[in-house]
Amino acid sequence: MMISWKRVNAILQKDFKDFSRNLAVSSVIFVPIILGAFYGRMGVDSIDTHFMLVNMTFGMVAAFVQCCLIAEEKEKNTLRGLMLSPASTADILGGKSLLTFIMTMVVVFFTVYLAEYKPANVAIIAAAIVLSSFFYIALGTLLGLYSKSVLEASVIVMPVIIVFSLGSFITLVVEKYPILQVATYLPNIQLVELATKVEAGAGFGGVLVEFAIILGWVIASLILTVVIYRKRMVD
Amino acid sequence: MENIIEVSSLAKVFANQTAIESVDFQVKQGEIFGFLGPSGSGKTTTIKILTGQLTPTSGTANVFGESVSQLKKSEYRRRFGVLTDNSGLYGRLSIYDNLKLYCDLYDVPHSKIDEVLDAVNLKEEKSKKVSSLSKGMTQRVTLARALIHEPELLFLDEPTSALDPTNSLHIHEGLRALNAKGTTIFLTTHDMHEAETLCDRVAFLNKGKIQLLDTPDKLKKRYSDSTITVELTNGEKVILPAGSEGANQLFEYMNTDQVVTIHSNEPTLGDIFVQVTGRKLA
Ligand SMILES: Nc1ncnc2c1ncn2[C@@H]1O[C@H](COP(=O)(O)OP(=O)(O)OP(=O)(O)O)[C@@H](O)[C@H]1O
Ligand SMILES: [Mg+2]
Repeated sequence: MMISWKRVNAILQKDFKDFSRNLAVSSVIFVPIILGAFYGRMGVDSIDTHFMLVNMTFGMVAAFVQCCLIAEEKEKNTLRGLMLSPASTADILGGKSLLTFIMTMVVVFFTVYLAEYKPANVAIIAAAIVLSSFFYIALGTLLGLYSKSVLEASVIVMPVIIVFSLGSFITLVVEKYPILQVATYLPNIQLVELATKVEAGAGFGGVLVEFAIILGWVIASLILTVVIYRKRMVD
Repeated sequence: MENIIEVSSLAKVFANQTAIESVDFQVKQGEIFGFLGPSGSGKTTTIKILTGQLTPTSGTANVFGESVSQLKKSEYRRRFGVLTDNSGLYGRLSIYDNLKLYCDLYDVPHSKIDEVLDAVNLKEEKSKKVSSLSKGMTQRVTLARALIHEPELLFLDEPTSALDPTNSLHIHEGLRALNAKGTTIFLTTHDMHEAETLCDRVAFLNKGKIQLLDTPDKLKKRYSDSTITVELTNGEKVILPAGSEGANQLFEYMNTDQVVTIHSNEPTLGDIFVQVTGRKLA
């Protein structure tokens, strides 16, 4: 598939202007940052709390914002205009995801910085965070494509934020109900496990399994997104 | 002349409703083709099929000599432009920013923006936010967007429905100029006068089928009853039949200096439509 940087960039610039004037959605990005500052001041310093913040950023910024951006394009019928233009699926989905990706990275950075999280191995943690963000952006895109309006989108994305923000909480429940064991394969739990291992001194080799599982989620969600998007092109 | 659109036995059935049953027509390269029909007759549905936004239930639809399923390819999408009643613009962005996005998507230089805004009479308002525009202004921006990449084929779904007469006229002039440069235009409208003055040929769609298709002139002649109406000095209006009886009568009136005006009673497209379909337009 061909991707045109010119078109991706055009959509990114348009989204940036549009988003900065859409306070109802854009103000969400400050929530994780404020919480991060709060935890940092309180001196809370555990992997679980740090990654609750990271996962919350994924839920609120990567998934929620992306979902709203896509749902608004659908609601206002502007997605149709993009689809009818020569822009390819990759141009449109790439362009529509880039702003969310950049914001997610910026918000994660400030949040963990303010929460005073200092990973034992910055490269591994950064790579894991970048990879994980792809999953949440794809998830947001999918939910956005499914909903008919921004309002509907913001309702259906809520459970997603809650499930994924409560990373370590799920592990506690799982210990009581072994059936929920599968939940430990969720990308947010895997990210926490990965970070815990890194803190205990693991290198890249020690966290390959976690990486592979997260990558699996990313690939599956990307494929599903492209399939659903292509279906939505003709209704 | 070459056909740019070829449609045969085209049908679209939605879950519980037949939108079009069996539609056949061709649009020639370089013409302005009017697609007329009452509300709900399937005009928008046909445009959506022809632009690859809907898959037909059965029948064939070819655009540029290729099946419409090929319109997914970007080299085809560059060749047509669409204005539909719900085509969206970004409300929080200015007119200029909306058009700039489309310039980049279609690989058109930004200098084109002023040119199309001039054509739709909006050059002065280009920095206005789209959400603050009136309905008619919004419609003109949508039209500007459909034109920006100078498509060979333009689909216009009720392009002047929200415009005042002055702006409608201005748009008509613009469309004629585009057409003179070679753009083929496929147009739906509820405005019979617009169809009559703008279109080379018109098709009447009703009950899922094309009921009539011809030039407005030929249709009017075919449905004319060849009578004339004469207005007399005493204020009376008499309808004279064709043939010697009417001619003698008219001679009589003229001979005695009683004639104020003479009108041939050719029907309007609207009259013909009502006659053919038994339904009123709009
Ligand atoms: N997505 C859809 N699902 C179900 N039915 C539809 C859908 N789109 C259109 N229809 C139906 O198909 C028929 C034709 O609709 P269409 O919009 O093509 O009419 P139209 O000629 O454009 O009318 P108007 O002049 O009011 O714009 C209508 O009865 C409409 O209810
Ligand atoms: Mg319509």
